[in-house]
Amino acid sequence: MNNTGKLILIVDDEPEICWVLERILKKVGGICHLAHSAEEAISMVECHQYHMAFLDAKLPDLDGFELARCLRKSNPDLNIAMVSGYYYKADQTILMAIQTGLISSFIAKPFIHEEILNALNHCLR
Amino acid sequence: MKDAFIKTAPSELLKNDVSNRYEQLYTMLLEAIPFSVLLISNKLRIISANRNFLEKSQKPLSATIGHRLDEVLPLVILEQMDIARRVMQVIETNKPLEGERMTYRAPGVPFRIYYYSLIPFFWRGQIEGVILLMNDVTEQTKLSDEVRGVERHLASIVSSASDLMLSMDGTGNILTWNSAAEMISGYTSKEALGRNFLMFIADEDRSDIEEIFALIERHKSAQIKECSLRTSQFISILISWVFSPLMDSSSRIIGIVAVGRNLTERREFERELIKSQRLAAMGILAGGIAHEIRNPLAICSSAVQFLLDEDDITPEFRRECSEKILRGIQRASAIIESLLRYSYPSEKDRTANVDLVDMIKRTMDLMVQQNTIQKIETKLSIAMDRVIVQGEATLLMQVFMNLFLNAIKAMPDGGLIEVGISQDKANAYISVSDTGYGIVEQNINKIFDPFYTTSSVGKGTGLGLSISYSIVQQHGGEISVKSTVGKGSTFTVTIPILQPVSK
Repeated sequence: MNNTGKLILIVDDEPEICWVLERILKKVGGICHLAHSAEEAISMVECHQYHMAFLDAKLPDLDGFELARCLRKSNPDLNIAMVSGYYYKADQTILMAIQTGLISSFIAKPFIHEEILNALNHCLR
Repeated sequence: MKDAFIKTAPSELLKNDVSNRYEQLYTMLLEAIPFSVLLISNKLRIISANRNFLEKSQKPLSATIGHRLDEVLPLVILEQMDIARRVMQVIETNKPLEGERMTYRAPGVPFRIYYYSLIPFFWRGQIEGVILLMNDVTEQTKLSDEVRGVERHLASIVSSASDLMLSMDGTGNILTWNSAAEMISGYTSKEALGRNFLMFIADEDRSDIEEIFALIERHKSAQIKECSLRTSQFISILISWVFSPLMDSSSRIIGIVAVGRNLTERREFERELIKSQRLAAMGILAGGIAHEIRNPLAICSSAVQFLLDEDDITPEFRRECSEKILRGIQRASAIIESLLRYSYPSEKDRTANVDLVDMIKRTMDLMVQQNTIQKIETKLSIAMDRVIVQGEATLLMQVFMNLFLNAIKAMPDGGLIEVGISQDKANAYISVSDTGYGIVEQNINKIFDPFYTTSSVGKGTGLGLSISYSIVQQHGGEISVKSTVGKGSTFTVTIPILQPVSK
């Protein structure tokens, strides 16, 4: 699948996680923007038309789901994947968020790189 | 008396006069005493009887004097006492019959108990008769029975009490030792009596007990002390003692009463409570800690995947990945260590030197994620690198964990937790301030009460502060609180610092 030139937002307060995600996504041709807080992410979404966003569930200034809602307001078509160590896959909160369409996928930390790529491909389909 | 009388009475006239006086005195005495007195001839007839006897027998003097014994005394008494034979025996042997007891129950009258004796009456070398002395001891007997009953009752209270109850003389020698003392100490009452109380006290507490005894002597007041009893198996059992002065009627201290309660069970219960509260606090943190561990795990995992999957790895990139893996493992392992320190109380070496600075930093590490989630900033200001106190690290950690969790709970919309550590010559002071709700003044006295909580059901046990308080108290310290509604609260923990050992 060709992801060349796709604009992707990565939001995590942990720089190393950003480093990991950026490297995985760059490998498949994505263009990554990094945000370390919800505030940064919100202003970036206002300026750029992202295809996809990878969000941490717990950020220092805002809950990940809250952020997802905010980002959706600016960009209703934004695909959002939640990447978190706080929840597990069958968590009620996660299942609800996927069911209501708030997020398109959930990836638990630590993850296999393929899961990240699958999330991207699933969204860009 | 008689000799003195002879010496001081030269004239016969005077002698008669005095003798009349004495006769009257003795007659009066005889009439007045609360005994029945009968003079019985050797023919078993009554020669004289005093007023007490006449009252008791309800017979006039005329129906008594000159009458035979068996006409005067009730049949029961005659039979029970076998009085005729005994009177004759006293006359024959010229030996008094010393006190005997007799219960007399006449129909329709409450029973009476008599104490009687027979004394030979000797006049000019001949036995003229026998004096029968009868004393109604019913009341005394009843009274002493009651006293004995009360005594028995008190004794059974002391003996069946589950607390140790013992008494000792002024020098600490054991006088009484109840069955609880026997059971707990393993020494029987027989083994304990006469030995000094200090022999049953653990070596390290003996000087304290001596001090307490001196205090009792000085202030004549009860003293309370927790110290260990050494059993016959050389096991130390922690006892909460109350020592009270034992005083005579002129308020002189004649001994000490010690009442002691075995604290083993209560301490075990407290430990269980502390443990369960710790685990409850753990539950609150579990999510945050999971996140905190899974982040470095994710970094390690990804770095390894890069190394495995990519073909064109530069030496620089390999190095970068390896460093990240190492750092990630160290981070995860540090969190797990803090967790272990918090959740497993070390059973041996319960008290040790604890560096409060290091311990509080570790506790704060456990809170990092929780703080991030709740948008809480933390500030730590320390006056010195190390503040050493003696105590149980796990327990103290639980105290600060509770204070931090409370601070977080008081700031649902985020805020600032400031932690300050300082010390003076005597104490270490740790303050934990938040910028939360604050505590309403009327509730401030309740916050250390067990099960007091403002949290909704399932959100807080109401045990955190009460357990923290008891832990700090066990370390010889205290917790104080200052709070302003709407501005926040400051909890200050004061713990005595370890005096540096001079070399």
